[in-house]
Amino acid sequence: MTTLPQTPGPRRTSSTEKPTEGALLHTEMLSLNVGPQHPSTHGVLRLVVDMDGERVSRVVVHMGYLHTGFEKTFEHRTYQQGVTYAPRTDYLHSFGHELAWVLGVEKLLGAQVPERAQVIRVILHELGRIHSHLVFVGTGLLDLGALTPLFYTFREKESCQDIFEAISGYRMNQGYFRVGGLSKDAPEGWEQMVARFCDQQERGVQEYLNLFGQNPIFLDRATDIGIISAQEAIDLGLTGPNLRASGVPLDHRKNNPYSGYENYDFEVLTTQKGDCLDRFRIRILEIEQSIRIIRQALARLRPGLVQDPNRKISLPPRPELETSMEAVIHHFKLVTEGFHPPLGEVYVPVETCRGEVGYYVVSDGGSMPYRVKIRSPSFVNVQALEYACVGAQFADLITILATIDPVLGDVDR
Amino acid sequence: MDPLTPRQDASRDVTPLMQELRLTPDPFAGSLSEPTAVVEPGELRHVALHLKSRGFMLMDSVGIDYLSYPQPRPKRFAVLHNIYHPYDHRRIFLRVWLDDRQPLDSLSPVWRAAHYLEREVYDLIGVEFTDHPDLRKILTPDDLEGHPLRKDFPIGESPTLFREGRFLDPAAFRAGLSGQDGGLTGWRGSLRRGSLRDMVPPVMPQGGPK
Repeated sequence: MTTLPQTPGPRRTSSTEKPTEGALLHTEMLSLNVGPQHPSTHGVLRLVVDMDGERVSRVVVHMGYLHTGFEKTFEHRTYQQGVTYAPRTDYLHSFGHELAWVLGVEKLLGAQVPERAQVIRVILHELGRIHSHLVFVGTGLLDLGALTPLFYTFREKESCQDIFEAISGYRMNQGYFRVGGLSKDAPEGWEQMVARFCDQQERGVQEYLNLFGQNPIFLDRATDIGIISAQEAIDLGLTGPNLRASGVPLDHRKNNPYSGYENYDFEVLTTQKGDCLDRFRIRILEIEQSIRIIRQALARLRPGLVQDPNRKISLPPRPELETSMEAVIHHFKLVTEGFHPPLGEVYVPVETCRGEVGYYVVSDGGSMPYRVKIRSPSFVNVQALEYACVGAQFADLITILATIDPVLGDVDR
Repeated sequence: MDPLTPRQDASRDVTPLMQELRLTPDPFAGSLSEPTAVVEPGELRHVALHLKSRGFMLMDSVGIDYLSYPQPRPKRFAVLHNIYHPYDHRRIFLRVWLDDRQPLDSLSPVWRAAHYLEREVYDLIGVEFTDHPDLRKILTPDDLEGHPLRKDFPIGESPTLFREGRFLDPAAFRAGLSGQDGGLTGWRGSLRRGSLRDMVPPVMPQGGPK
């Protein structure tokens, strides 16, 4: 953090000049530049904070440092190639964006996703949510000066990434989903790995709560800080845990079920106050709900296909290429050109750990989308900073920023 | 009625709502699209205020440039506002057709969420919003001219620098070779707006980018 000399600096009395008795205390508004390269901004977000003493009177958010024009890139890649870009927007819950993208395209195409692929998608979607919430708890508390919780949450986060690596080959930015299913089936022993992780994570949640749940410093710094009422949250367009912390039970897994979420038994948790403590609590409780969903999904997991058998959408199985000319043609057409969805515009909302993600896809009948608009929750949620930080102390701004939990890839796209 | 109390009738069908607000369904919305209504630019804020009073929230604003769309569309640009009810889960898209440089009423006085969302549409598509409190670029760098998500924004081509400060503009150079039109835009910011495009020679003797 550096002070920007936007306003003239405080007048200093030289050593020869004696301060006059009873002189007024020099006060002025101070502009403080936070970021873009600062750990507490969780990426490259720049905040210009106007302060009156320690009180924040105005926050101006500058973003775009990570803007790489994903939406433009999507227009020049086939639908299947888009899976590479979707996870890179929100790199902490990449499966959420991947799922939103493939669900949108599948709706355009009318693809039939097999049951096994849907169950694996649900497991990975929920693991991604846990993964992101663990990073949130660890780094959020790190911003408050608590160094230890990071090591506890990152222990589970690493196990979570081991599971991702086992199934997709990548620890981050997996690109594992395909339009019509998954890129490949889960390896042997993967279910046991997930089941072990669920047990480990359940113990982990208890450990985190024992570690800081009753910590007076944490409670002092989070309680009644950055309160966002339900009305304000709706006005600001907040979604996800930030909205539910303010008492609005909106969760697309429940309200607009996708990938078979209507078959799972879980609760949509809300808290009433909408302060930083609530936003912490709700995410920790959501980890437990996610474990609940994963356990049910593991019980539903049966052997079967993981891709739509429609040859106009999915690649033919590799061995078939040696015997069937038709398979070779399909393979060639899909790889070089891709499929052509009919004209239309679709939007499928998905509940990720940050809120509603949806890809507004406009198809012109070609093999590449005409226009893709990503509804990224972090971009909208960051607006709450300008509202919630006003009147708070500067140290609270860090807490509020941490609990709003933006991912800058998702903000800037 | 308090907007926060859920309606008795829990149907998600927005047809009654559209009839009540006298909205026209979008003739181009296919069976796959979410319910979409076409709104005249002058009516938009009025409709938005009605929806807000019924408890709807603004989820997203989408700007689309239909310049090279294969089917004819009434106007070049469309702005879609994605509006959702957080308690009874009705979703409606409001579509406004716009010509180039035609301003649109901002929804920031209605929903605070519109603040950033409209700045993004302004930055990437170039629709200007009237009464917006702070209409600035939001994602692209300050020195980038033009609106990258317009269909005539050149991509993948940057001018080539030769000795003595000569620049080659790829689009203009190709146009000179093929005898075809160089397109609506060049790589210079002012050209992207289509104002000076015929006055610049394919190979620039001096100068280069501004």
